Amino acid sequence: MLFKKFNIWYLNSFLISAIVAIPIVTVFSSFFESTGRYSVIIKDTFLFDYIYSSALLLSGVLVFTFIIGVGCAYLVSFYKFPGSNFFKWALILSFAVPSYIYAYSLTAFFENYGTAYSILKNIFGDGEYNSKIPKFDEMMGAIIAISFSLFGYVYVLTRASFYHQSQNLIELGKNLGFSRKKSFFKIILPSARPAIVAGLSLVAMETLSDFGSVSFFGISTLTTGIYNAWISFDDLALANRLSFFLLIFILGLFILENISRRKAQYHTPVKAGFKSKSLIELNGYKALTAFLICGIVFFISFLFPVLQMLYWTIIFPKHLADLKITELFLNTILLVLLASSVLIVFAFISNFGNRVTKSKFLNFLTTFSICGYAIPGVILAVAYISFVSWFDNNFVSFLEIKSIKSIFIGSIIGLVLVYFVRFYSLASNGIKSGYLKINYSIDESSYLLGYSKLKTFLNIHVPYLKNSVLLIGILIAIEIIKELPITLILRPFNFETFATQAYIFASQDLLEAAAAPSLFLIIIASLFILTTYRYILKD
Amino acid sequence: MNKNFFEIDNVNFSTGGKDKVKNVSLKIENEGDVICLLGPSGIGKTTILRTIAGLEKINSGKILLKNKIISSSKIHIEPENRNISLSFQDNCLFPHYNVLENIKFGAARNQKSKKKLDVDEIINFLHLEHVKDKFPHQISAGESQRASLARSLLSKPDLLLLDEPLSNVDQSFKEEIQVKLKKILNELKITTIVVTHDSYEAFYLGSKCGIILDGHLKQYDDPYNVYHFPNSIDVVNFLNRGILIPAKVTGENSLESNDLGTIKGNFIKHYPKGSNVQLLLQPEDLEHDDKSNLKLEVVDRKFRGTNFIYTLKTLSNLLIPVFVHSHHIHQHEVDEKFGIKRPIYIDHIVCF
Repeated sequence: MLFKKFNIWYLNSFLISAIVAIPIVTVFSSFFESTGRYSVIIKDTFLFDYIYSSALLLSGVLVFTFIIGVGCAYLVSFYKFPGSNFFKWALILSFAVPSYIYAYSLTAFFENYGTAYSILKNIFGDGEYNSKIPKFDEMMGAIIAISFSLFGYVYVLTRASFYHQSQNLIELGKNLGFSRKKSFFKIILPSARPAIVAGLSLVAMETLSDFGSVSFFGISTLTTGIYNAWISFDDLALANRLSFFLLIFILGLFILENISRRKAQYHTPVKAGFKSKSLIELNGYKALTAFLICGIVFFISFLFPVLQMLYWTIIFPKHLADLKITELFLNTILLVLLASSVLIVFAFISNFGNRVTKSKFLNFLTTFSICGYAIPGVILAVAYISFVSWFDNNFVSFLEIKSIKSIFIGSIIGLVLVYFVRFYSLASNGIKSGYLKINYSIDESSYLLGYSKLKTFLNIHVPYLKNSVLLIGILIAIEIIKELPITLILRPFNFETFATQAYIFASQDLLEAAAAPSLFLIIIASLFILTTYRYILKD
Repeated sequence: MNKNFFEIDNVNFSTGGKDKVKNVSLKIENEGDVICLLGPSGIGKTTILRTIAGLEKINSGKILLKNKIISSSKIHIEPENRNISLSFQDNCLFPHYNVLENIKFGAARNQKSKKKLDVDEIINFLHLEHVKDKFPHQISAGESQRASLARSLLSKPDLLLLDEPLSNVDQSFKEEIQVKLKKILNELKITTIVVTHDSYEAFYLGSKCGIILDGHLKQYDDPYNVYHFPNSIDVVNFLNRGILIPAKVTGENSLESNDLGTIKGNFIKHYPKGSNVQLLLQPEDLEHDDKSNLKLEVVDRKFRGTNFIYTLKTLSNLLIPVFVHSHHIHQHEVDEKFGIKRPIYIDHIVCF
């Protein structure tokens, strides 16, 4: 049966999924490898700290992002108040601010003699303000930085779910005599549950694999543990094993949610009596409260880091003048174009292969391989370097040809390959969800009209999915612009992007120099977001 | 040498690993013939069409088109290479193209065909002028179905498969489209298999009808024979027109029923004198006669426009349907007595 289905589409899909699955297999196989002495030290000392800090960070971020994301999505989806149309899209601009840049801003603003101090001094004159200004560092700083940077995932998905909720559902609540509050908790919130959980899952994965902000705040999480195991103790097996714990952590969350959800169905089929909602108009103090909630979230999540970076860029013009803006821009765009093209083309081929062959094995392999999204960029980069080295030592040197390390490590090719593995789930899931909207009988109709599989792909699928593809391309672009650890580890010598440039300055305690590249990064990412916000909000 | 245009030879039709219809054999002798498959929902009619189209594979038997095997346990010609078109029951128009563009997709395959259909002609024929620039989500289910039919017709396939082609079409258009469809299939000599659960549609469109029941093709014959000479009690029950009443064969041309007395006519099959049989009584077999002394109680009356269907109760509590032309002046209310013309004569007597 397997061989009957085996064809060129099967092979393509299999190879793509297999390549993406390599790091996960590496991580799982770590359980059978022996680790160095450092593992004993870790077990006896830091392992508990890593797990405790990761759990604490995760809990804090999940609570914050849930409240902010769902709260804002509810307000803009169900009510009309001054600025509500503006906030609908403005709130997703927080995607443009990576958590590490948020962390720089937070520190810069609240640190001793920082921006807050300068503001108070300018308004009230000289005084001892440092002791009165709250300090957001370490765990609290990381929770705030990551939450305001990631709440967009919950906001966007919940808002899309609310957007697709039928008015019938709301009217049903009224019919049953529910108050607005009861309707929210009994009808609206439960029916958006899959979207909220999907958003929180993304937040969880991003939080657990965050490297930039936790390392900046000096928190020992599993991710920094992985980095230390590799950098400080050169123990790749231990780094992999810690990643395994991380994956188990995330898998546990998924299973827990699935069990609690059982077989309940949450979505109202759109065609079966869908009725679009009429917004409730708010007046007086209610309108003001809604405006203030959304306004404060928008200010803290986007304007605050932008203004902080802008402020520093203006008052330290020398750093701006020294910055090779054109070079950084071209490098960033080069990576974006290469990686997103490769990702989209291969994700398309793989998904089409799965669709044509209808193979359960391929579907499983794809689902398994996209778990790679949960693996921190650090470990992906490390796994890649060790794989290339192993291949070079065992095969290339055996054939007595020139080493391939220089081609695949510290090169654009290497960087794009690891981006491919890291962001494949984004591309693949995006195209898969587009494909789910195309009934399989559409393909069959095409075959029956004499169109081959390739012609069906080119004439039916590609035109149908072009908007989804554009959206996915831009989402990948935003991720790559912000991506830090992979770029940092695998970039060619003297090849910098806005992200790496900002990190290098920040790690040297030159936060004011990190401002300009951070600002440019935010501006470029914001432009990408603004071109697609309509699709992001609906899809 | 086999000269049938299309043939199914002892095929088990299955989907998802489960056999739906077993041991099917049927033939379409001439190019341009239209046959219909009738059966209740979920019995496997669509599976048969999907298999013929090449969307499902078979493990036994063979399917031949123009004397060439297109499906067998070893051969499977891909759907795109069969020149067989299937018009699905549910909407399967390409959602990102408008109706006109969807229909034109059908034209691409048969550029070389001698007798080509014009796109405008087919749009007019199926009353799609007003929706041709609209997208599939902007039109009704019936319009989608007609657009899909137009696309299939335009591809001028060797074999056209229609799955409940008019199930969503408004009653006001239905008969007109049936007439035009029959005409166009005949003119273009498009060999067609229609799946439907509407027996009137099947009897009108098909030169032959297949009745699929209980996982088997029970009867495959011309529509007249299927209706008047059903070959099993299952087929009688499915077509649901008449009832079976107990009777005793009393001679070469006669039976005796406790409820209706002597019934005369022509047996389609010989039964020995004295045999106890189940006689098929169709609503049109009995005639109304107010003056008759055989009177039965009316328990129900349905007005069907052209006629009434009276349900009458016999002495042994059998319920018998009788057609009466609706112009008949004397209408009978429930509980009244209803006269049956005697002697009862049935042109072709069907017994089991």
